[in-house]
Amino acid sequence: MAATTVRMTLESDVRLVDIAHAASETMAALAGFDEDDALNVGIAVREAVINAMKHGNRADRSKKVGIVLQATGSAVKARVKDQGVGFDPSATADPTAGDNVLNTSGRGLMLMRAFVDHVDFKFREGRGMEVTLVKKRAARKPKTILASARS
Amino acid sequence: MKTTVRMVGQVAVVDLSGKITIGEGDVVLRDKVQELLEQGQKKILLNLEKVSYMDSAGIGELVACYKRAREKGGTVKLLRPSGKVEDLLQLTKLWEVFEIFTDEPQANASF
Repeated sequence: MAATTVRMTLESDVRLVDIAHAASETMAALAGFDEDDALNVGIAVREAVINAMKHGNRADRSKKVGIVLQATGSAVKARVKDQGVGFDPSATADPTAGDNVLNTSGRGLMLMRAFVDHVDFKFREGRGMEVTLVKKRAARKPKTILASARS
Repeated sequence: MKTTVRMVGQVAVVDLSGKITIGEGDVVLRDKVQELLEQGQKKILLNLEKVSYMDSAGIGELVACYKRAREKGGTVKLLRPSGKVEDLLQLTKLWEVFEIFTDEPQANASF
C-alpha cells in the first residue's frame, strides 16, 4: 500500500483535539489496524496534541500545532509539532508511583507510551517541540508456514 | 457526554454515556459531581458502562471527583468500567484506588 498522508494545522484550542483524534483513528484503520488499536492510536495522538496545545503553546491560540499523519500497509505514524519553548520529557514524574496516582494531571506521556510502539521527542530552539509516534502492525505469519505446520 | 442521576436509596447513581475527554466530558463530570456534593449527597456511584474511553483530562477529573468527595466526607465508587476504560484504570493504577463493582445492588449496598 502506498503511504497516505494527512496534514493539518490547528490553533491551540482544546476544542479542536477531537479533529486530530478522529483523523488518527481513520488513518490507523487505513493502515489495517482493528478498532481497538485504532482507538489506541487516536488516544496517543490526542495526548500529544493536548500536550502541544497546553504545555507547549501554553494555550496561546496564536500559536499553532502542526500534525502530519501517515498510514502505510504496516504502520501508522504521527508527527505533532508545537511552537513552544520545549520541555524535558525525562523529567516527568511517574504518575503511577506512590502518591502520584492521586494527581489530577501528568498522565499524558504515559498514555502515549502505552498506546503506541515508539514515542520520540525532538526539540529545536526557535522551532518548538516535535513528537513522533509510531505504531506498527503485528507481522502476519506466512500462509506456507501455517500449511506445513498442519501437515 | 451525557449524564442522568438516579437515586437508589441514599446512593446517587450517575449513569454516564459517551467519552470523558478534555473540554467536554471532564467538565460535565465535574459539574455533575459538584452539584451532587452541594446537594449533600455523600454516596455517589459513577456508572461507566456506557463510557467508551477517557483521555488524561478525563482521568484527572475522575481523580478530582474522588478527592473532592472525600474532602466533604463522601465517597465516589465506580460501576462496570469496561473495554478501554478498564484498560485505562488498570494502566494508571486507579483500579487499586477506587472501589469498583460489576453488580449495581452490591455496589449500592457497599456504601
